[in-house]
Amino acid sequence: MVVDLVLGMAGSGGDGVVSAGESLLAAVSSHGYHAMMTKSFGPQIRGGESSCRVRVGTVPVHNPGGALDAAVALNWEDFLKFGAELELAPTTVLIHEAKAGPPPEALVRRGAMPTEVVAVPITELTNQSAGTEKAKTSVVLGLLCGWFGVPEDGVRRGLEKKFAKKGEGLLETNERALKAGIEHALANPLRSTKRLAPPPTHSPKLLCDGNDLCATAALFAGCKFFGGYPITPSTEVMQTLAKEIWKYGGTVLQAEDEIAGIGAALGASFAGLKSMTATSGPGMALKTEIMGLASIAELPLVILDVQRGGPATGLPTKSEQADLFQAAFSAHGDVLRPVLAPISVGDTFRVTVEAFNLAEHYQTPVIILSDQEVAQRKETVEPIDTSRFTIEERLAPSASDLVDYRRFRHTESGVSPISHPGLAGGSYLGAGIEHNEKGDPTASGAEHARMNEKRFKKLEPLQHRRDLFDVLGPSDAPFALISWGSSAGVAREAFELARAKGLAVKLLIPRLLYPIAVPVYREFLASVEAGLVVELSHQGQLHKILRMQLDLPAGLRSFCHSGATPFRPDQVLAELEALAAVGVK
Amino acid sequence: MDTATTTCGATATPKDYSSALKPIWCPGCGDYGVLQALYRALAAIGRPPHEIAFISGIGCSSRIPGYTTAYGFNSVHGRALPIAQGVKLANPDLQVIVAGGDGDGFSIGGGHVAHAVRRNLDLTYLVMDNQVYGLTKGQLSPTSPKGLATVTSPLGSLEEPINPLLYTLAYGAGFVAQGTPAEMPGLTALIEQAIRYPGFAFVNIQSPCVTFGQEEQQMRAHKAHLRPLASLGHDPSDQLRALDLARSYGKELHTGVLYRNPNPPPTYDALVRERQRALAPEAKDRSRLLDVFLQK
Repeated sequence: MVVDLVLGMAGSGGDGVVSAGESLLAAVSSHGYHAMMTKSFGPQIRGGESSCRVRVGTVPVHNPGGALDAAVALNWEDFLKFGAELELAPTTVLIHEAKAGPPPEALVRRGAMPTEVVAVPITELTNQSAGTEKAKTSVVLGLLCGWFGVPEDGVRRGLEKKFAKKGEGLLETNERALKAGIEHALANPLRSTKRLAPPPTHSPKLLCDGNDLCATAALFAGCKFFGGYPITPSTEVMQTLAKEIWKYGGTVLQAEDEIAGIGAALGASFAGLKSMTATSGPGMALKTEIMGLASIAELPLVILDVQRGGPATGLPTKSEQADLFQAAFSAHGDVLRPVLAPISVGDTFRVTVEAFNLAEHYQTPVIILSDQEVAQRKETVEPIDTSRFTIEERLAPSASDLVDYRRFRHTESGVSPISHPGLAGGSYLGAGIEHNEKGDPTASGAEHARMNEKRFKKLEPLQHRRDLFDVLGPSDAPFALISWGSSAGVAREAFELARAKGLAVKLLIPRLLYPIAVPVYREFLASVEAGLVVELSHQGQLHKILRMQLDLPAGLRSFCHSGATPFRPDQVLAELEALAAVGVK
Repeated sequence: MDTATTTCGATATPKDYSSALKPIWCPGCGDYGVLQALYRALAAIGRPPHEIAFISGIGCSSRIPGYTTAYGFNSVHGRALPIAQGVKLANPDLQVIVAGGDGDGFSIGGGHVAHAVRRNLDLTYLVMDNQVYGLTKGQLSPTSPKGLATVTSPLGSLEEPINPLLYTLAYGAGFVAQGTPAEMPGLTALIEQAIRYPGFAFVNIQSPCVTFGQEEQQMRAHKAHLRPLASLGHDPSDQLRALDLARSYGKELHTGVLYRNPNPPPTYDALVRERQRALAPEAKDRSRLLDVFLQK
């Protein structure tokens, strides 16, 4: 029995391996397992090769895992294209279509060949049982049920749901194929005994991806306007809102370009609504000028950047964490704006609501720095108790504020009451030009300095938002891991593995990436002699920002590599152990 | 968020719309006349200033919202139209006016005009067209005549100008007019009609730049060469004739309404509101929003 199982499969576009992965995910999640699925496609818009990997656990899974426990190749040509996504190890059980022949030389040459390679006449079994080749993946699901303990009734219910609308006949053929797969597995036992342990509870879970949750959290937070332009891998946020937002009195505007998208969103915020835009790296670059306008006009606005490999078109369908500099620093003039990053699909809800709250409370643009993996991987999420969340609204002017209203009045907190068109007595000139308290344009350097101070001062409380950081491990540990975004889940597992090995390590996961909360880092780093800042970029951008703003322990170094393949927990562990071995000398 | 529409009606005067800020424009700038015409048009319509959102980009003319008592937004160069569309969709009850220069509207922001026209929100777009970049001191603009020598085209420009009238008409704008502060009652009437038109309304205002403009673009020349469309017997519902007349932009100073759609279609903002109302009954309680993802 195992508590954690990583399954992967690859085939051509028509084989439906992603769809099979989704059935598998639905089956295990309805049984109370924790699970996640990542998928990968060739560059073709339709057809072409595709692959998916599903990680299932009886305990929460924080990342897609390392080498596969079981791999399914429907043909070798497509399987070979996913060497990075479907990593093999000697312990992997490699199942392949019998008629494709034994593993090709190209695969053997890569090394780490599985010791157990199983040929299954998948097409033949499908034809015999279902009378059509189209139900191939149902045979595969049957094999996984029979050999690895994937819950059979869960898969069956998944098939029922999937084919319910497509007619009785199709459901029946797939059920026969599933049965054939199970029977084949039972008749041909494996040497390996990796059977999934039963789930600890059958508590129901949510199943969704980060973009789904971001859109839903926006509705929850009261977002009434979305302006944007389609760009991979963020478009699903606009798509979901375009279906739903009307019901809540809101609107989606698909703008003519990225600039118009954020422009319209800012206009809606000026008019008093909670508003957002979403994009990826190239779109962020185009939106930068208007982000500056939002900062100086002190207007709330949420900007989602789902990072992909860059620069320019880069790797548009794959994950990277290389937009942090852009999110934190891309500005003309002195600008400070909060940058938040979700660490998992489920975390996206909390981070999105937080982004709206910060935007409204501090009257500032806020960037949610998600990444393709968190945004598009599908994952089980523990039910979220939405009653825990408070929803913030912008500070409205009181009746006395509206007597000789000063929109940018200097206050102790730096936050001034904000009116909106339609409110009698609150008229003012919003402007990209520097202004005095009333909003009237000014060219005074002294006035500019006071306003800059105000715009920075109002964000000072962020320095003390310890709730936006996860800190795990003993407070006096000499070794540390720091990681953010989708890499945080890998660091989390590496941390747990290291703790299990007795290493004195602690872990810091910031959700607030910028401004750097200096007191939080100082306190965390006080005991640290050496450690790793783990992030998926060539430069190690968080590490560089930390070096810029803090005196770091000499042994705290960057552990980074370019996207798109996520780190494996064992890689991080090995690096940490190597560091610790030097550190304790 | 809905704002009750009230009117000052007969009680409104141009002064009600004039702010305490003193314009920074050069003495004799055409924009002073545009501002006066706007005050008069707003007074004639009578919406209280706080129900007006006045959005502009960057340039001499984009300073105009600050000189009114409306809610103003002097934004960034070229982006007034997208921002204004967001404002209007957020609160369709507002009267939304957009203003800027020829460079703001037809050069850096030129890509937005076609989309604002085709979406047909109930917006009024006033372009103060002076065929030159004034704020940056005299460079070539998208409506500068071919051959014009400026500091950035010292040997004469090699490009044909944009034709704002033909451009907006060709994309299907429901209201297109041209005026000049050299003829104030006409300009005031055009701005008033544009604001009252239920849909995207565009007024190209030939507003002389006294500092960098050409002799033939000054008030005196305007007065001498004015060709009111009414005097030509033009019927503003005749779209083809309007397109034909628009071709003489830059050659003839036609003033008046070139085209007014006699049967204005429903505006985008009205359709949005209709959709919101139709779907409102499907709204879920906030605490139930996540139920769609629940695996049972």
